[in-house]
Amino acid sequence: MSINSAAFLLFLLVSAAAYYAVPKRWRYLVLLAASGGFYLAYSLRAACCLLFTILFTYGAAQLLAALHRRERAELDIEREDRAGVKKRGKRRRRLVLTAALVLNFATLALFKYLDSWMGTVGAFAGLFGVELRFRPLNLLLPLGISFYVFQTSGYLIDVYRGRTSAEKNLLKYALFAAWFPQMIQGPINRYDKLQPQLLAGNDFNADNLKYGVQLMIWGMLKKVFLADPLAGAVGELYGNYGQYPGAALFLGAALYCVQLYCDFSGGTDLVRGASQLFGVEMAENFRRPYFARSVDEFWRRWHISLGEWMKDYLFYPLALSGPMNRLGKRVKGSLGPHLGKLTGPCLSTLIVFLAVGIWQGPGFSNIAYGLWNGGLMSLAMLCAPLTGKVRERLDLRDGKWWFRGFQTLRTLLLVIIGRYFSRADSLRQALGMLKRTVLHFGPAGPGLFTSFGLTGFDWLRLGIAGAVLLAVSVLQERGTPIRKTLERQRPAVQFGVLFIAVLLLVACVYLNTDYTAIMYVYENV
Amino acid sequence: MDKLMRLLAESCPAIDFAGETALIDNGILDSLDIVMLVGELNDAFSITITAEDLVPENFNSAEAIWALVQRLQAE
Repeated sequence: MSINSAAFLLFLLVSAAAYYAVPKRWRYLVLLAASGGFYLAYSLRAACCLLFTILFTYGAAQLLAALHRRERAELDIEREDRAGVKKRGKRRRRLVLTAALVLNFATLALFKYLDSWMGTVGAFAGLFGVELRFRPLNLLLPLGISFYVFQTSGYLIDVYRGRTSAEKNLLKYALFAAWFPQMIQGPINRYDKLQPQLLAGNDFNADNLKYGVQLMIWGMLKKVFLADPLAGAVGELYGNYGQYPGAALFLGAALYCVQLYCDFSGGTDLVRGASQLFGVEMAENFRRPYFARSVDEFWRRWHISLGEWMKDYLFYPLALSGPMNRLGKRVKGSLGPHLGKLTGPCLSTLIVFLAVGIWQGPGFSNIAYGLWNGGLMSLAMLCAPLTGKVRERLDLRDGKWWFRGFQTLRTLLLVIIGRYFSRADSLRQALGMLKRTVLHFGPAGPGLFTSFGLTGFDWLRLGIAGAVLLAVSVLQERGTPIRKTLERQRPAVQFGVLFIAVLLLVACVYLNTDYTAIMYVYENV
Repeated sequence: MDKLMRLLAESCPAIDFAGETALIDNGILDSLDIVMLVGELNDAFSITITAEDLVPENFNSAEAIWALVQRLQAE
């Protein structure tokens, strides 16, 4: 069931009606039933996989909670060696956590990466004259597995750290792991933020309905009028890159930036809006990333829930780990305090972005994408004293509008280069495209904009939709709350805006027999 | 506390640690600042701050950081 389809809208309507019709204490069961129904409609086999994850992460959390209780009981008795009790308790919990995380990520690896990795191993072995043949498993990738594996892993780490208590009720926990709006595009929700809302039995609230519907419409408009029309052109440019000049390839990568943003953030808006219909606010995932003035800031605005997950559960533990500390001290002794201080953060950043690249999918192009971003951020950290001095010497302050504009454009250029890797089917393709962009940039020619499947009318439509998106983004960037501002307008204006948006969607999607829903880019990760 | 205030002022001179109570919640300290600061705190007070201690409640203000340092010294 595509989340753009009329069937999904009907499913939402029925689920919401049932949710508000039953007594408060049963409402979470309606959400669970809706989530189960949504997932079963996708695939029974995938549902079994999700159930397996739910059951073993539930069990692991109970075990961690029992170990916490045992440690507290031992501390009540022990007066002398309290540090020893804590140390032993932590060791036992760490063992359970490690086993659970290994199993959780092994499930992800089995479905998402195994075939590709086995193929790579076979190819490497072939380089040394060893013939290794693996029969691909061709397993169906369970919907949302990259999201629910990360979400349940985050929950386990929080229970291990004692930041949250383990949910005793299996059905309530299952709802947290399987909440249907998060299954398509994420976001990766946190237990302490999501679970209380799921279990609250929220009262009907007209604002939630209004804002939820508005967010869904906005998300669908981004998908239908920008992401989908660009998908064909981007696919043509990346797929047949040898036939196009470098200028067209650069344009293709830039268009992919727009496509991906509208696809991913549009899908996220849609599911966040759907969730809001039930009074459940999910984590924010995008904050106008292309306005960022550094790659570091870009990643604080792009796929925020993944970035926060990586920061809390991977970056901090790595950067503050004993081995990283010792390495930093060794580097400090031989190469000076600046490099010594930054050894841990830089290496951890590289590892984190390697993980981000792998999260996107198997293949060396994704690894290169991760390392490109991690490398840029590490370089920025290392060069910060130098760039600080240059800025001071040239009097380049943040207050200067042209300098801020320069920083934004520079960041955009670096992001576009990164997209050569993240969209390419292989590292060879990405490097081939980059080489062609640099060595054969022109001639662009007058046919550049119409030579890859987009007509003049398509460009006009994209231009109008892009201009609307840009205007809204600029207003939001300046702190204007769009929906509140719309609310302050006369009823006729409010109705007019909503009417036009709905009319466009109905005409272009639901009444248009030529419309084919294009799968979300991150629907299958 | 004086020692901590001096250390904070040296580590992040642009931040007013005396008046701020939402250093993490308002994004005043970013992840790199925090990791660097933790290194300084570990060395200066002979403690070991782990990733588990990195919650906003422990780093939102100088007082909260001081409370964390005292707790870890006592353990």
